[in-house]
Amino acid sequence: MNMLTVQDLRKSFGNMEAVKGVNFSVEKGESYGLLGPNGAGKSTTINMITGLFPPTSGEIQIKDINVIKNPKQAQKWIGVVPQEIALYQSMSARENLKFWGRMYDLSGSELEKSVDQVLEIIGLTERAKDKVETFSGGMKRRVNIGAAILHKPELLIMDEPTVGIDPQSRNHILETVKRLNGEGMTIIYTSHYMEEVEYLCERIGIVDHGQLIASGTLSELRETIGDHSKIILSIDKDSSNLDGLAQSLTSLFSEKDIQIQDHQVMVFHKEPQLILTDFIQSVAKSGTKITSVDIVEPNLESVFLHLTGRKLRD
Amino acid sequence: MKFLWLALKDLILVARDKKAFLTLIMMPLLLIAILGSAFGNMMKEDEEVSIKKFTLGVVNLDQGQLSKVLTEEVFSKNLSKQIAVKYYQENELNKKIQDHELEIGIVIDKDFSQSLMSGKGTKVQLITVPDTVIKATIVQNVIEQFSRSVPIEAFVSQMSQPVQAGNPGGIDIESYGKKPLINETTIDAKTKPVSSFQYYAAAMGVMFLLMTVVQGVSTMILEKEQDVFNRLLLTNLTYANYLLGKMLGLMVICLTQAFIIIVGTNLLFGVDWGPSVSGIIVMTFAFVVNASGLGVLAGSFIKTEKSFSVAGMFGTQIMAALGGSMVPLYVFPDWAIYVTKFFPNGLALQTYLDLMSGAAFSKILPSIGASVGLGLFFFAIGLMRLSLERRGKYA
Ligand SMILES: Nc1ncnc2c1ncn2[C@@H]1O[C@H](COP(=O)(O)OP(=O)(O)O)[C@@H](O)[C@H]1O
Ligand SMILES: [Mg+2]
Repeated sequence: MNMLTVQDLRKSFGNMEAVKGVNFSVEKGESYGLLGPNGAGKSTTINMITGLFPPTSGEIQIKDINVIKNPKQAQKWIGVVPQEIALYQSMSARENLKFWGRMYDLSGSELEKSVDQVLEIIGLTERAKDKVETFSGGMKRRVNIGAAILHKPELLIMDEPTVGIDPQSRNHILETVKRLNGEGMTIIYTSHYMEEVEYLCERIGIVDHGQLIASGTLSELRETIGDHSKIILSIDKDSSNLDGLAQSLTSLFSEKDIQIQDHQVMVFHKEPQLILTDFIQSVAKSGTKITSVDIVEPNLESVFLHLTGRKLRD
Repeated sequence: MKFLWLALKDLILVARDKKAFLTLIMMPLLLIAILGSAFGNMMKEDEEVSIKKFTLGVVNLDQGQLSKVLTEEVFSKNLSKQIAVKYYQENELNKKIQDHELEIGIVIDKDFSQSLMSGKGTKVQLITVPDTVIKATIVQNVIEQFSRSVPIEAFVSQMSQPVQAGNPGGIDIESYGKKPLINETTIDAKTKPVSSFQYYAAAMGVMFLLMTVVQGVSTMILEKEQDVFNRLLLTNLTYANYLLGKMLGLMVICLTQAFIIIVGTNLLFGVDWGPSVSGIIVMTFAFVVNASGLGVLAGSFIKTEKSFSVAGMFGTQIMAALGGSMVPLYVFPDWAIYVTKFFPNGLALQTYLDLMSGAAFSKILPSIGASVGLGLFFFAIGLMRLSLERRGKYA
């Protein structure tokens, strides 16, 4: 059964079309990632799905409910982690969680139990009594997530929940999300960090300029760039003869698979192990000093680069 | 029930916001201190006034009998302890007052009696030097009481009786003077004059609460631009609950302030808010419902905090001015006083003044009803507006 179906979703702000006809669906129990650079239209899409504002046109269905006609009905099932920290800073973590739980109609021992559980999940049981304003960015983000899962939503929608935090908190959050998904919660996760969606999401949609330019599983997306890995040799520039180097390389590989920069020489290839020694030898022969060797598996970054000609985080 | 938690949350936020909390508690105290230093001296004067006699200049152009009852019976006899009556020609009186030889005078119109008897109201002109609010209030109160309590029917029936010998005028001034209704007009009976300090304590207090409402609504609009508001919209919270919670929080804050102002002026400066404690409590509550309702209404119509701040500031000033917080209501014509009752603060101030001059709880019930009713009406429109806006978006 589909948890969410989005059909030809569009949104304009004045003359600006922020979302230009997006289609996708998410199955129950799945974790779906929306990957795209800043300004791609991820938040706008998410805000329409959660019923915060209606689309200019298109259809959104969560389970069997039409979100546009009946947002309140759909909102009961979903938990939303907004991109910004939406908490009361002068209240403690526990006070915040209790407040938001009450807004979802929890009360009494059910509320207490849920708050305790969530504090456990987000790893803040010890700091529960401290005011949110005294927390680090990462801890605030964790409370921000906690407030969305108190009512045990079937669908958890997270809009860039790890922006601007330390690696430790980020790992904690990623593990938490993975665990929730493992327990059966359907997840929609937006990010401009490809590592996050690669780690978390079974299926991924790549968004750019308001459009879904590719979607599929990670390996399906890799296929779109021919599944090429990248071998990177870092070189000592002073010792190199770049022209000679280029010549000897073109005799081995096709020109479009070669990239030469100041400190790096790169080759794209489907099976890097097979050509690695040839590659290194020909570079060494040209008199260039190699300082390191790196093999990068095809990733979403290269997929995005391939599709748009730009890097994800320009 | 969610509105209760929402209100509680708002109160917690205010209580933990040092600046907001200080403004909430300190401002009323400051206000009291300022009022105290401004009117502290006058307080003593007030006490003297009620003992010290003052002269009332009277120009009586009236041909009828009622003016005689008013001047000779009420002012000269019943109020002899407080007022000495002196009769003048009209231009004489004007000159005396202009020269400050006399502080207060009345001109009784030539059809005063006739007008009163035909139920058309009082035709008396009050002329004073500036700054005699208290004396003016006393005289005005007396005249108003008098005209209200003239039992017109009694006169009419008496006059329709055949003229009897020995009573050619038809009206027996002597016997009329003994009627109890005249006693009601004396100062030491039920109606007490309201002192300047009392007047301004009520007027400023009312204005202050109005400003607190504006402040609260500004916060409410500001909140709409914040992320927590969007998050609230995604929960099971309904608009009715949201607005109710906002209004309740605002009301608790206003009531706290009102409590500080009323108890503070009373304990620190002896301002008498009238004998009816229940009246003061219930009227304060009713006023707060009215003002917060109006505030929530404005808050649901106005989109940006900036435009609200401007509108709120002007609105408050205008309402405060028209409601009698800046210039005493006594200088307003009757119809204007009537109109100001449609402002939360105008109605509240007039009711507080009534209470201060001794009105019983039962007498202010209409004001309480009107105040609460208007507040609920404002609230309902605000709620309708919010849900229509939402529905419009999703149409
Ligand atoms: N309320 C709005 N009014 C006008 N433009 C907006 C509004 N919200 C978003 N946009 C624009 O829409 C585009 C997509 O924004 P957004 O959905 O926030 O992107 P993302 O979340 O992927 O970073 C951006 O160009 C942004 O400036
Ligand atoms: Mg965004």
